[in-house]
Amino acid sequence: MPEFALVSRPALPHSPVGDASRVRIEALPEGHVLHVLAAGGRDITPEQLASLGDGTAHAVRRYAPGQWFVVGNEALGSKEYREKAARLGADAAVSDQSHGRVRVAVSGSGARSLLAKGCAVDFSPSVFAVGATAATLYNHIGIHVTRTAEDGFELLVLRSFAQSLWEDLSVNHGEH
Amino acid sequence: MASLIRCPHCGARPKEEFTIRGAAVTRPQPDAGEDAWYAYVYLRDNPMGPFDEYWHHTSGCRRWLVVSRDTRTHETYGVRDAAAVAGESRS
Repeated sequence: MPEFALVSRPALPHSPVGDASRVRIEALPEGHVLHVLAAGGRDITPEQLASLGDGTAHAVRRYAPGQWFVVGNEALGSKEYREKAARLGADAAVSDQSHGRVRVAVSGSGARSLLAKGCAVDFSPSVFAVGATAATLYNHIGIHVTRTAEDGFELLVLRSFAQSLWEDLSVNHGEH
Repeated sequence: MASLIRCPHCGARPKEEFTIRGAAVTRPQPDAGEDAWYAYVYLRDNPMGPFDEYWHHTSGCRRWLVVSRDTRTHETYGVRDAAAVAGESRS
C-alpha cells in the first residue's frame, strides 16, 4: 500500500472567464500532448505527422524546425502511446508530454487584442492565418500559440506555469 | 541593441526572446596550437560597425542563430541558422 494516495488534480481547476461574444478564457481538457522530434536530417511528411493525430483539425502543431506537438482531448493509455510512438519508426522520437503541458483556449472577437497585451507576435490574419503556430512569450511565460479559428487561439504552456499564465490572462481580461 | 530580430524560423521577434552568447568566432582545429586556442577562448575584437554574433532563440524555436548587426546603428543585416552557417563553412 502506498503511504499516500496519488490524486490526479487539474492544473487549472477554474471555470471559464468572460463570455464568447467578447473574450473567453477556458482551460481545456488535459488529454494528451506528444512532442515529436525528427531524427537528425530526416524529413517527416505531413501524412506521417497526421497519422499521430486524433483526426481533429489542428491536432498537429509545428513548434520548431523538425519539431511538432500533437495534442488531443483524450488521455492516452501507455499501450496507445507506445503504438503511436512506434508509428514513425526511426524517423522521429516521440515524447509523451501530457503531464508536462496544458492547454488554454482564448476565443472571441477580442482574443487577438488580449494576446497582443502579452505577446509581440503579429496576430493579424494576413500574417497569422488559421492553423499558424508560434512559440513565444506571454509577458515572461513561454507559450506555444496556435490559431484554431478566425477568433480562436489555443495556448500550450508548461504545467507549472499554467496558473501564472491564467492569472496574467485574467488580469488583462479585466481591461476588455 | 537591435530590438527586432528576424528569426529565419519564426519571423520578427523582440530581443527579449533571445539569449546572446557573443561573437561568432570560428573554432580552431584541435591541433591548432596554444596561440590559436588562447585567441579563440580569450581574445575578442570590439568592432564599431558590422558584427556577427551567436544568438539563441530561447523563448521561440530554441535554435542557435548567427545575427549580423551594426554596433553603431543597431541595424541588423541578416539572421541565419547557425547550423546552416556551419554547413557553409565546412563545404
